[in-house]
Amino acid sequence: MVNLDKENKILETIKTTFNVEGRVIRKNRVEINAKKDIVSSILLFAKNQQGYIHLNHIACVDWLEKGKFELSYIIWSPTDKITIFVKTLIDREKAEMENIDNIWDQANTYEREFREMYGIQFPGLVGDFEFILEDWDEMPPMRRDFDTNAYAEKTFYQRPGREDAKDVREELTKQSGEVIPDFAKKYSRE
Amino acid sequence: MVREKETTLYIGPQHPGITGNMMVKLKVTGDTIVSASTHVGYLHRAFEKLIERRNWLQSFTILCRFCVPEPDPMELTYARAVEELEGREVPERAEYIRTIVMELARIQAFLLWYGGQSGSAGLYLVGQWSVGDRNYVLDLFEDLTGGRIYHMYIWPGGVRRDLPKGWKDKALKTMDYLEKRLDDYDKTLFDNTIFQKRAQGIGVIPKDKAIEWGVVGAPLRGTGIKHDVRIDEPYCAYDKLDFIVPTQEGGDVWARALVRRQEIRQSISIIRQALDKMPEGDFYNKVPNPMKWTVPAGYAWAKTESVRGEVGFYVESDGSNKPRRVHVKGAAYTHGVTVLEKILKGQNIADVSFILNSLGVCPPEIER
Repeated sequence: MVNLDKENKILETIKTTFNVEGRVIRKNRVEINAKKDIVSSILLFAKNQQGYIHLNHIACVDWLEKGKFELSYIIWSPTDKITIFVKTLIDREKAEMENIDNIWDQANTYEREFREMYGIQFPGLVGDFEFILEDWDEMPPMRRDFDTNAYAEKTFYQRPGREDAKDVREELTKQSGEVIPDFAKKYSRE
Repeated sequence: MVREKETTLYIGPQHPGITGNMMVKLKVTGDTIVSASTHVGYLHRAFEKLIERRNWLQSFTILCRFCVPEPDPMELTYARAVEELEGREVPERAEYIRTIVMELARIQAFLLWYGGQSGSAGLYLVGQWSVGDRNYVLDLFEDLTGGRIYHMYIWPGGVRRDLPKGWKDKALKTMDYLEKRLDDYDKTLFDNTIFQKRAQGIGVIPKDKAIEWGVVGAPLRGTGIKHDVRIDEPYCAYDKLDFIVPTQEGGDVWARALVRRQEIRQSISIIRQALDKMPEGDFYNKVPNPMKWTVPAGYAWAKTESVRGEVGFYVESDGSNKPRRVHVKGAAYTHGVTVLEKILKGQNIADVSFILNSLGVCPPEIER
């Protein structure tokens, strides 16, 4: 029987302090579901009073069907060896989330990434606007409704002579009169 | 008092001392760095977006490209996340083979790091030796997986194939050879006054801030803090093997180098033990037809210890035949941006690539 006392204890502490929902997923894994306006308070409490000093990761998932972004703040305690997922849903329209880089400096990198890739705004976020993309004026590309195929067709074009996407090797052999051996032919597009 | 003029200096993206396609923008007065900021985006290929358009197995061709010097932890971490979502069991033999693959990956990444770290100190001989020796490890990978760099060998449910005939003997002989070579590396690098003088006291990560800054792996253990995913949350067969997690005090480039140096002997020991204790049996728990394979809805967070530090995969499934989201956290995401920017302040321009190498920054992990 797996002992989940430590997991249940931290879950209950956070649940009673902030009146939020949560569950123990398995050993070393606890999930907290909170509204976005108390996420930073939970993180600060977990860090300063419960020893969850390490921000492992912040994950973002686009739930296009629900009209929401899901942010998961993954924090870890070096003493308890437990990972807590603090999850929250925010609206896709005018997406905005509280800036937590005053709690962990490295959150700044995640927030700059989400601003660029999902269009989520973090008021007070300092840092170059461009993090990964350059001169990007399209929809934030990690959104589910960003059509990569349409973007590629609009932005890029075939080199002259490649419009029909023919196999260059075959075209060249036709011109030079070479014969492609059978074993190589099976990879051709025709 | 005369105020020195502040100059902006760009190191990278094309620079021999930069560990990939990234740029560090420096503000300097004289030779001293006043501030640093990391700029990435030079090889952004939208790996995570591409994975959303592929089925659960097709993702493997992309995953290994998150970090060229060390692709295996990516495969393992993703496979473990998918296994957790599915509740899929992994045969014990496969767990031992995975352990061996992970430690071989650690050794070859270490040998490549030797080259980068010594090269950035001007000691090119060590790098030529280590990259030559790395080829013996890549030979083992080629025999085992068919590929030298990218393997796509670890899959959900186990590994793709069993150890080939004679591979165990070859692996043991390679370990004997590499163990002997460590003394040569010690003489040429660690006993070398140039390296010692260059590495000691620079790029210091303060012990009391290390975990809070998101430092992981050898840089964390170089500050004296003993954390390693292999011990904290054991996976594969690590809980059945004896090994120690080396630590050093100081948090400087020298401490990080010593930790890596000590780890390599542990990796050799782990491989020998795993080859010895490995049980007979299945090496693969078959997955359904990949084109029709659906994974139950939910999310999983798996983490693995790579030579650069902790690698984490957040994998979300909506119950379909493609991942809804695979969000990758590599060690470089913090090491290469906020940690690097902090510890470069006050350092000399000549030490930038030296410090960068010591953190093990892999730029594709940042921009993914």
